[in-house]
Formats: sequence, structure tokens, C-alpha cells
Amino acid sequence: MRLLKLLYLFLVETGQSIWLFLTGKRKRLVGNRNMTKLILSTGNIVSGGPSIIRKPGAYRSNLELTNSLRSNFLAAQEDYAAAAADDDGEAQDGKSQANGDAENGAAKSNGNALHVNTATGGRPPVSVWTAERDGVLYIPRIDWSEAGLQEEPSQYNITVKLFFLPSASVDRRAQFAKEALDLVLKELGAPAVDLLIVSFPGMSFEGDCEWEADRQNAVQGNDEEELATWAAIEDLHRTGLAKSIGLAEFGSEKLARFLQKVQVRPAVNQINIKNCCNVPPPLTKLAKEEGIELLAHSDCTDILPEGTLRELLGQGLGGAGILADPDTGVGGLKGDLAPQWVVKYTAVVRDRGVIENKGYFAGAELTEA
Amino acid sequence: MGLLALGTALDWPEAKTRAHHVRAWGIKQLLEIWNKAKVKERDAMLWGDEVEYLVVTYSKDEPKVLLSLRQADILAALADDKTLAKEVTPPASPGGTKPKEKYPSPVFHPEFGRFMLEATPGKPWGIDFKELLHVEPDMKLRRAIAKDHMLPNEYPITLTTFPRIGSPGVFTDPHYPVSGPKLRSQFVPDEIANPHIRFPTLAANIRSRRGRKVQVNVPVFRDENTPWPWKDPTVNYDLHNWPEDGDVRNGAAPDNFIHMDAMAFGMGSCCLQITFQAKNITEGRKMYDQLSPLGPILLALTAATPIYKGFLADTDVRWNQISKAVDDRTAEELGEKPLQNDRWRIPKSRYASNSTYISEDPRLREEYLDPNLVIDPEIKQQLLDGGMDDRLATHFAHLFIRDPIVIFNEDLEVLDLSKTDHFENIQSTNWQHMRFKPPPADNNIGWRVEFRPMEIQITDFENAAFSVFMVLITRVILSFDLNFYIPITKVDENMETAHKRDAVLQEKFWFRRNLFSSRPSRGSGSGTTTPRSGGGSRANSRPPSPIGPVEDEYKLMTVNEIINGEDDDGEFPGLIPLVESYLDSVNVDVATRCQLARYLDLIRKRANGELWTAAKWIREFVKGHEGYEKDSVVSEEVNKDLVGKVIEIGEREAKGEGFRGLGAGVEKLLGGF
Repeated sequence: MRLLKLLYLFLVETGQSIWLFLTGKRKRLVGNRNMTKLILSTGNIVSGGPSIIRKPGAYRSNLELTNSLRSNFLAAQEDYAAAAADDDGEAQDGKSQANGDAENGAAKSNGNALHVNTATGGRPPVSVWTAERDGVLYIPRIDWSEAGLQEEPSQYNITVKLFFLPSASVDRRAQFAKEALDLVLKELGAPAVDLLIVSFPGMSFEGDCEWEADRQNAVQGNDEEELATWAAIEDLHRTGLAKSIGLAEFGSEKLARFLQKVQVRPAVNQINIKNCCNVPPPLTKLAKEEGIELLAHSDCTDILPEGTLRELLGQGLGGAGILADPDTGVGGLKGDLAPQWVVKYTAVVRDRGVIENKGYFAGAELTEA
Repeated sequence: MGLLALGTALDWPEAKTRAHHVRAWGIKQLLEIWNKAKVKERDAMLWGDEVEYLVVTYSKDEPKVLLSLRQADILAALADDKTLAKEVTPPASPGGTKPKEKYPSPVFHPEFGRFMLEATPGKPWGIDFKELLHVEPDMKLRRAIAKDHMLPNEYPITLTTFPRIGSPGVFTDPHYPVSGPKLRSQFVPDEIANPHIRFPTLAANIRSRRGRKVQVNVPVFRDENTPWPWKDPTVNYDLHNWPEDGDVRNGAAPDNFIHMDAMAFGMGSCCLQITFQAKNITEGRKMYDQLSPLGPILLALTAATPIYKGFLADTDVRWNQISKAVDDRTAEELGEKPLQNDRWRIPKSRYASNSTYISEDPRLREEYLDPNLVIDPEIKQQLLDGGMDDRLATHFAHLFIRDPIVIFNEDLEVLDLSKTDHFENIQSTNWQHMRFKPPPADNNIGWRVEFRPMEIQITDFENAAFSVFMVLITRVILSFDLNFYIPITKVDENMETAHKRDAVLQEKFWFRRNLFSSRPSRGSGSGTTTPRSGGGSRANSRPPSPIGPVEDEYKLMTVNEIINGEDDDGEFPGLIPLVESYLDSVNVDVATRCQLARYLDLIRKRANGELWTAAKWIREFVKGHEGYEKDSVVSEEVNKDLVGKVIEIGEREAKGEGFRGLGAGVEKLLGGF
């Protein structure tokens, strides 16, 4: 952690002048469109150090997501700045090749400016460590050549959990689900996932005791919206992309109502309760009768609030320097930021219980005023 | 205890002349299996636990509790029981899930002590989380089956040692006189050992090779009324049956130490051992190395051995006593005499903490290895010539500095490369705290690693908790690619520290500060076979992680910090939070997670002092007994009541009624579980 703090300070002290140059560039890239889609990613966090550690007592938390995004942004800035400096050296020797990485698109053609930036020790320009393609800005850029699992996909149990965020349009959830799943399948090099769990906004198990929590849960969320979304998830199951599908945070009453109206029943219901030994008895009973497995988890449902995302991408301490400073207007992209979905994926080697790959993608939209 | 083939066991002077023969053939067998198995891949994670019991005869109406020597009869009764032959339906696990299918009956094995039993599950465990919950019911089932095949007044108990073994008077049933020809002990009879020829020969040949009896001296605990200096009142200086009876007249029993003189005092201890199968040899070598620094921590955390020969000791664990009880080193090897006949000085007993790291992990720095490691250079060369890499060859060339102790004449006629008996002869008498196990000769199981330091716990709940915890730790190490390396000499130091009274709370241990490996930089990933133009230069542009002095990599930490993590400002995450992070990342049903949380809770509380170790509980039991006179003596009466309480705890557990209300401080041992 100490190292991260140092890096933050280092990044904050520099960078502003570079951003003047960059904002111009970015506008040109984006052209006249007033909407930019952002895809944030953590890469594989399982061997990525301390961001995986759950602090004792943090039973409902999004720290893993935010910490691992932050550390991946920093790492990408570090790696690509160094690489860009090298590329620049090669360019000056006349050996520059067409940068073969099509995924990286427009990102690789700014040699001299980079040289200046890295020489002055600045925060590397956004274009160096992010990539834009077809109107989507990848933060950081993704090297798909590193994607895939070590053994064939059938050796793994792949679980994906998709969080629909409260600020995003319900009508577009089907599209979000497809986008998110496609990214995960590409990242893992797998044709399908074993379990796709969907998490709807506004649901949890609160209250002083398990009965109370179950009762409160009954009036949370929005049944109609959840059913409409579920139809899209059923489609992903029918097309074979998700071998089984599941829910999160459904109490006994909500679950009972839900089951009456769905075509494909959820295989699991993932719940987060302070003490996993205190499952509401009606829920235990219903799950048993209906053959739905109750899984434990420790995520929170509002996993990426707008304010958090803004901090992650902003100019402040620990921010990635993508967004303009809201007060001065200096430093990057402007507009309304709307987080839409987050997807968490985990690939566990089936008969060895070893987590080989775990990470997150997050989708957001930036609309210029 | 490994090999139990029958035959003519050679006495030491003759065995010694054949030692080289056994080693030479052992190395050939090792190379054979290594060549066959080094390419084995993708073996499943399977694992097994071993629980060892003392068998005692106890009755409320009898004044004494005794060790029962009916091991052979009990094993015969178990073997003859047709209803046990194949399968049993396991009882429901505490989490409530009842296993649907039957599974193979547990297996019972003889042990060194004739008062001991060992039991293992009928088939290895997998890594399915629900299956982890079958461990505890299976352990309970084993204990129940064992009890069912004993006399009504016999009980299998899981104390590490019998508190009054070797005390003057009667402590076995039946009683035998001491000072027999094999052990020549003035405290225990030859009949204390399993009568299978292997065991008395092992004991006799260790004594004979050593040139005197083993000397197991444990510092006595000094209480208010303990005379000081303390002279072990049970030592007989006037015995003249055997030449070795002179040992005590020549200083074998120093002041302030409880003196013991036979293998039974060590190998009669019960342990909790776990063996893991790795996916391949590389993963096995990695697990061996990474689990090694955890050994002393788990030893301190499971401490359960505060009494020897009827006296409170000033140490809490069994380890060094076993080490001394099988120490076959000669005076020359010990450095007491100049080397003339022997080949080298040997710093450790055959039973000791690890001396090698064996992985080819790039994170393993030369500085972690023991600079004074003793190896047999000729054997190492043979292994290198056979194609083995330097690090593994060094490991086996270190194990092979030892002589085989028990040699059966029949085995020396023809070298059979379809067996591993000669290799195992050396390998299985190197009792280090980890063991790296090649596949058996038929190559039908994988490379395995055994974790050996843990002390057996009084209840099966605790034994299951520690077993499952270690299983989860291995998954955490492999998933998060953790790095526990510290210099191996620091692990030795920790092993000594773990012996101190209440080390779990009072002592600090060397431990690595940062468990995480440095992040791989982009473009240097293993998946890239054809680096694109940008990728190659990216990989090259990143300087290798700076490497500081080794001393900066580790520091002294308490067991609580290691297990539960450092307080707010500290960097060290703690093993339990790491296990919880792992469990957060895999699909676990709520009932299973609840039960696993109970196990983690026990370990958390043992580490932070909320609950006592068995060692502490036993000490407090003795101190609080009205018959205790604050003179370090654990009398027959105190011993009987202690064992009686242990039996009561066991009966409570068997009924599934929890441990509340048992009195005698049991709530400090087991809390609200």
C-alpha cells in the first residue's frame, strides 16, 4: 500500500500540462459524437497482490473492485509509459513498425510527444495506456493476446456475476448482459460459462435478525423489471452461453413470486448475510423444496456508485486522470458519467480448487453536455 | 509407520555392513520412479488425514488409568468385523448435509506404541467444499468404530502423550517389568512397543548405532514447591542389567530435566498429519517449500504436550522429544568426538525440521538455503547423472546421508525396480516436518506432500478444523501464488521457539512480510508465444524487480499476527483473512460456509488467546486439581481425573451435545462450540 501512495503523489504532482495536449487529442478521436462508452477492467487479480484481501469485518464491500481497478490503472500507466518510451526510441532509429495491435487502434502514433512526457516524469497520456475502438474507450487498454486459461475450458468451473447498477436503463439490460458476457468469454477464451448470476439493484438482507431481513427483502427491488431482465438471461442460457443461471439476494417471498413467472428456474440464489449461519428459515425451506442452492457471497449490490467511478477516473489522489477536473474543467473528458454494469468472473480449476483467473469488467457511459 | 513386510531383520552390526547396499539400490529405485512419474500431469487435489489415538483403560471406580497394550487384539477385532468390511454410511455432518452414498470404511493401522492406533479415511478426500464437511463426521465415526472394538473400559483418546508413561509403578495393562533386552530402558518395558519385528529392531538398532540409549531430556516446569535444582526422582542410578545402565551415571540425566531413555517416549506420541496430492511434480515441490515455514506456526498453535513421565514440563509440544527419541547419531556425528569412523558431522536428528527447499521457483533465493547442508556428494552425482536437477538431487542426497535402520535380509537378494522398498527405507525414516513423496512404484497416484508438525487435538472438531484449515491454506497458496519463503535456518529457529511454554501467545516467530509476488508486467505473460512488435519491447523495458537484502524480507511476528493479520497500520494480511478472501471467490453454499466459519473461528480464537491450547488447558487442569501440590508432579490421581475429563469431552462430542457445562475450564479450551 505504501508503494501505491507514493505513486499517487508522483502522479498528482505532474500531468496537468500533458492534459492540455491530450484533451485536444481526445476530442479529435471522439469526433462529434457526444457519447463515449467506457470499459474498465482489472485484469486477473488473483495473483495481483493485496487488492484481493478482505479486511476482517468487511462483509459487504466493493473494495476488491475499486482497489483492483485502481491498481490495474496504475500498473498499465507504468507499463505502457515505459513501453512507449522504448517504441519512441525505435522510431527515432527508423525501425518503427506498424504497431500490429489492431485492438489498440489509434493509441500508438504519438511518439515524440510521449518522449517528452516520459522524459519529464509525467503521468503518461491517456492515449498511451487506454485504447479507443469503435467509440469504446478501454481503460486500460486490453492485450487480448494474454487472454485465455492454461488448460482447456472444460477443466474449469467458470462463474460470472453480473451487477445491474441503479443508474442504468432497465430497457438496455439485455444489451448490457450480452456485452458483459462477451467480454468475459473473450478474456477467458471460453465458449460458455458454467453459472451466470444476476444481481439487481436495491436488494439486500438488512435488519437485526434473519426473519426481519427476509421480511424487508420482500418489498425491495422491482419484480416486473427483474422478470423482464430474467427473460434476457434465459436467452443466454438457451443459446448455451450460460450453462446455468442464478439470482442474488432474493428473500423467500420475492423468490416464491419470481419462481411462478419464470420459464428457466434459477439454479442458485446467492445471498449475503452478516452471519452465514443465520439464513432466514423460510428461505432455507423454500430453497430446499425448489432445489435451489443457496450460495454465500460478500459483495455489495451497489458495487460501483457514480461518485466512486468519478473518483476512480478523476484527477484527484488515486484517480486515473481520465476525467476533467469538475471545478477547473482542466484535464480530460467532460460530461455526465453513468455506470451501467459490473461483471465479476472467476475460473476455478474443477478438481483442484485453485482459482486461476478472477477479475472484473465495468461498463459506463459518458455523455458530453 | 510405513513398511511392515515380514522377514529376518538384521541386528545393527550386520545391518551397518549392508547400509551402503540399501542406499545404492534405493537411489536406483528413486531414479526409476522419478523418470516414470516426472511427467505425470493434472492429478486431482486429493488429500488425507491421519489421526492417532492412545488406548487407555479407565473406570470411575479404579484408582488408576492405564495404557492398554491390546493394540493387536483391537486391530484383529476390527479386521474380523464383517459388517465393517467394505462400506459405511457416514453420519450427518454438523452442517446438516447427509452424505448420500456410502463410502469405504475407515482404515485402522498399527503404530509404534503398543498402546496406539492410527485411523485414516477409507478413501482420500477431494476439494469439493461439501466434502470438507464429511471430515469431522468421518473422524467421529472412526473413533466410534474403534471404541466398539475395545473392551468396555477401554477408550481411544487423542492426547499427544500419556501423562504418566514411564513413571515408576504400574502404567500399562497388563504390567511388564522394565529393563528388557531391546529397549534396555529403566522406565518402560520392551512390551511397550508394537511386537512386530520392525519396531523393536528399529528401537534396538537406533540404540546400538548410537552406542548408548537415546537421551530425551525435557526441562521441568518450576512451580512454587518444586525443589531446585530439581533432580528427576525417578532415575535409578543403581541399575546394572545392561551396559547402557551406566548412561545415567555418566551424566545422561542432568539437573532440572525430566529424563527419558527410550524411543517409546517420542514415537509414542500422537500427531495429526495431512497429505496432499499435487497436480504434478512442480506443484508438489512448490507446496513442500511454501508449507515448510508454516510448520512451526501450526506446531505452536496446536500445542498439546505439557506433561512427561508424570511431571509438568516447561515446554508445550512433543516435537523435540520425538527428535531425541530416534536420534541415532554417533558421538562422532554429533561432534563429541573427532571424525574417525563416520563420514560426517550431522547437525540434526533424523526427526527434525526440514533442511532443504526443493522447488525451482525463481522466487527461491540462494540465501534461503542452508549453507551448511550435509549431503552425500556421490549420491548427488548419481542422481544428476540420472537426469535429476540439482535442487531435487540435493534434497535426496541430504536424506541419504542416513543409514537404513531396519534391513530385512530377504530384500537384499535381488534388486526389484518395480518396487520402492529400499528408497522408502531411507525416505520414511527421515522424519522431517514436511515430506515430499514420489508416487508409488505402480505410479497410480501422484506426487504428494505431507505436513507433519501438528499435534493431535482432544476433539475431532478441532482435528477436523486444523485439517480443513491446512487444506484451504494450500488452495490459497496456489490460487494467490503466495510466497512464504524465509531462510530455512529461520524455520529451524521458529521450531525451537514453538516449544516454549505458551509460545502461541508469548513468543514471536520469523515470518515473511510480503506474501505477494510482484505483478507480472504486460507483454511478459506466459501465454505470449509470438510477441508482436510492441509486446517484445514492452517486456524488455521493464526492469526486474529490485531485490533487497534478504533480512528485509522477514520480521518477528506473533502467531496472532500471522493467523489473524496485523492491526490497522500493519501490512501483513493474516492467513485467515486470506482464506476468507479465497472462500469469497469460490462458490460455497451457505451451510458449508457456516461450518467452515466455525473451523476458522476456532483457529482465530486459539491464535488470539480467546481460547486456550490443549497444552494450556492441561496445565491449568493440573494446577487447579486439589491433589496437585505445586511441585510439578502429576500424580496418579490427577492423571486419572485428567484422562477422565478427556473421556467425558469425547463422550459429549460423540453424542453431538456440544461442550458447554463440562467445567474444569473446558469452556476456555472449546468455547461455545
